[in-house]
Amino acid sequence: MKWQRKDILGLEDMSVEDIRHILHTAKVMKEILMRPIKKLPTLKGKSVVNVFYEASTRTRTSFEMAAKVLGADTTSIAIAQSSVSKGESLYDTAKTIQAMRADLVILRHSSSGSAKFLADILDPGVINAGDGQHEHPTQALLDIFTMEEKLGALDGKNVVIVGDVLHSRVARSNAWGLQKLGVNVTLVGPPTLLPVEMEGLGVKMTHDLNGALPGADVVMALRLQLERQKSGLFPSLREYSQLYGLTTERLKKTGKESIVLHPGPMNRGVEISDDVADGVQALIEKQVTNGVAIRMALIYLLIGGSGNVVA
Amino acid sequence: MWWLKDVWVIDPSQKLSASRDVLVKGGKVLEISASMMEEEVSAIAQGESVEVINGKGKYLFPGLIDVHTHLREPGQEDKEDILSGSRAAVRGGFTTILAMANTQPVIDSRALIEFVRMQGERAGYAHVHPIGTVTKGMQGIELVEMANMKEGGAAAFSDDGKNIQNAEVMRLALEYAKLTGLLIISHCEDKDLAGEGQMRRGVASARMGLKGIPASAESVIVARDLLLAEETKGKLHLAHISTVESVDLIRRAKARGVDVTAEVNPHHLIFCDEQLGITETVLKVNPPLGSRADREALIEGLCDGTIDMIATDHAPHTQAEKARPFPEAPFGIASLETALSAVWQHLVVPGRISMDRVIEAWSVSPAQRFELQGGSLVPGAPADLVLFDPDFTEVIEPATLVSKGRNTPFLNETLQGFPVMVWVDGRLVQRNRILL
Repeated sequence: MKWQRKDILGLEDMSVEDIRHILHTAKVMKEILMRPIKKLPTLKGKSVVNVFYEASTRTRTSFEMAAKVLGADTTSIAIAQSSVSKGESLYDTAKTIQAMRADLVILRHSSSGSAKFLADILDPGVINAGDGQHEHPTQALLDIFTMEEKLGALDGKNVVIVGDVLHSRVARSNAWGLQKLGVNVTLVGPPTLLPVEMEGLGVKMTHDLNGALPGADVVMALRLQLERQKSGLFPSLREYSQLYGLTTERLKKTGKESIVLHPGPMNRGVEISDDVADGVQALIEKQVTNGVAIRMALIYLLIGGSGNVVA
Repeated sequence: MWWLKDVWVIDPSQKLSASRDVLVKGGKVLEISASMMEEEVSAIAQGESVEVINGKGKYLFPGLIDVHTHLREPGQEDKEDILSGSRAAVRGGFTTILAMANTQPVIDSRALIEFVRMQGERAGYAHVHPIGTVTKGMQGIELVEMANMKEGGAAAFSDDGKNIQNAEVMRLALEYAKLTGLLIISHCEDKDLAGEGQMRRGVASARMGLKGIPASAESVIVARDLLLAEETKGKLHLAHISTVESVDLIRRAKARGVDVTAEVNPHHLIFCDEQLGITETVLKVNPPLGSRADREALIEGLCDGTIDMIATDHAPHTQAEKARPFPEAPFGIASLETALSAVWQHLVVPGRISMDRVIEAWSVSPAQRFELQGGSLVPGAPADLVLFDPDFTEVIEPATLVSKGRNTPFLNETLQGFPVMVWVDGRLVQRNRILL
């Protein structure tokens, strides 16, 4: 297929063909990543700029690794040291980066829609590394990649996503992406974190985790932002954990050797117990490795030249 | 002197909607009759030159009165000032505008009221009437010197931009304002329910991951203020009503005889939340765009009289402020220059509402409720007039807008139906879209 996209902003508006093409490319990238000498000259002379307005260790490092393996030069702009703290707008920051002739911009920003905002301004491509509560497409793609790696084709599989769905860009991107691949997605959380208007995502919703688990091939726990308790969205970590925490006992209700995913960083003992996090069903470290492969694939597809197809 | 021939006159104040000849002389409407002969007119002119305007196919109506504009002066003149705002007003068909008090500083004293009024007079386009705040510093705690501010020219009191969160303060305001006979204009928005919301809470906000403002953020305060007005027998006006529940509450309160009027903004009659894209800050407005059901209820409420007025809530912002990611952009739509045309094209032409009702709601009702000049073409009335050409088309471009605010959703679109001549006190201030 011919790759047409300039940007990766989200999975809501991405075609199944594009998603499959990315997953296919990532498979090749993972092989490269697993080599003892993992360095390619493919993107030599290309520059990738990481612009992170929100703290992030794993996503930023993952993008940097991915770009470097492909031979690109990377630069990171972290908010604290940049002119953003002097009051420069995202618009002006974007123009500055463009003037420095960056080939690709990776953006993490606390405002929903910031990635599209940037993509509309910039000539170079933009990869959304998380925009507010909107989308986190690379996370969803690495989740899907990890699921496929373990389960094969995902069509007809059952995926339960549990936690703070309302505020989760990971849940939104996964819901869009998984639906397109024919997965039965169920969102689970308390009514305050999974309000009725989330039905617009077009997937099943329930407040009862125990009832949702039977038959689940994948259970994905979302990170709970602990400060949500102060806004009254749930009464206590104790009750949250009792109702929605993933424990070994509870996981048995799936009736399968289900896999467990978590986008990290985890609140152990809140949304996921230690034994589940460290257990054989959890593929959390695999997710991290696959994250680099997915990001390699995306960087390659966006700035790898006219071919954009790996053998 | 002007002789407008064969023009379709809409004046709901005298239940007139018919083809007429109209004479304007000495700053007043002199005569309206079925047709006039040249000899008659020259006799009346008594030597004064008469410009004859062929009004065929055009409408003549009393100048629009906008009870809700943000002119940003003093303090935020990069967004708008009283001169640019009042120029934009007459370009858009408004001969009288009320300026909201949430400037910097806020208009909470007689001195500031007089400043705004004087700036309006110096500008010399539309009549500009200042609205004073309800509370000192718009802090929602202590009432302003209402009687004194009325003497200075305050047309009403409002903390618009901010809800008066303390119900007792609102109750006291409704009581105390009786001394002045002026209205309290309520900006109904419960601070806690609205929270950090960016758009109406619903499927669209959930999908885009934008924090939502529930419809109840408005409606619970509408309910509260209606009850307070009923209990105090105070005079209440509700700004920018946007939800089906609010319309229902107002309808029932009016049936009980509560002294309340309500306004709706053109954008709430035209757009709804599902049309909003994640980078379309031009449609970011407060109250936020509602659902289709809200829009339908607002149109119905406007047609049946539950909603008394249309008002723009003209809220100009700089381009830099709107060129931000959605959650960081300010709320507001600049609309003085496009509102009438947009209502014509999106509501009148498709038959959703009659032009007669539009003029009643945008001129007659505001004049009567706020006791302002205008809103009528009865002979002897000051000639605040608009000649409207339904065939005139214009591309809405930054270069032609006279408002400093270019934050209109119609930018770079072609609209049809515009005021082509506007008189204020019988003085022609706009002709063929050019300010005089």
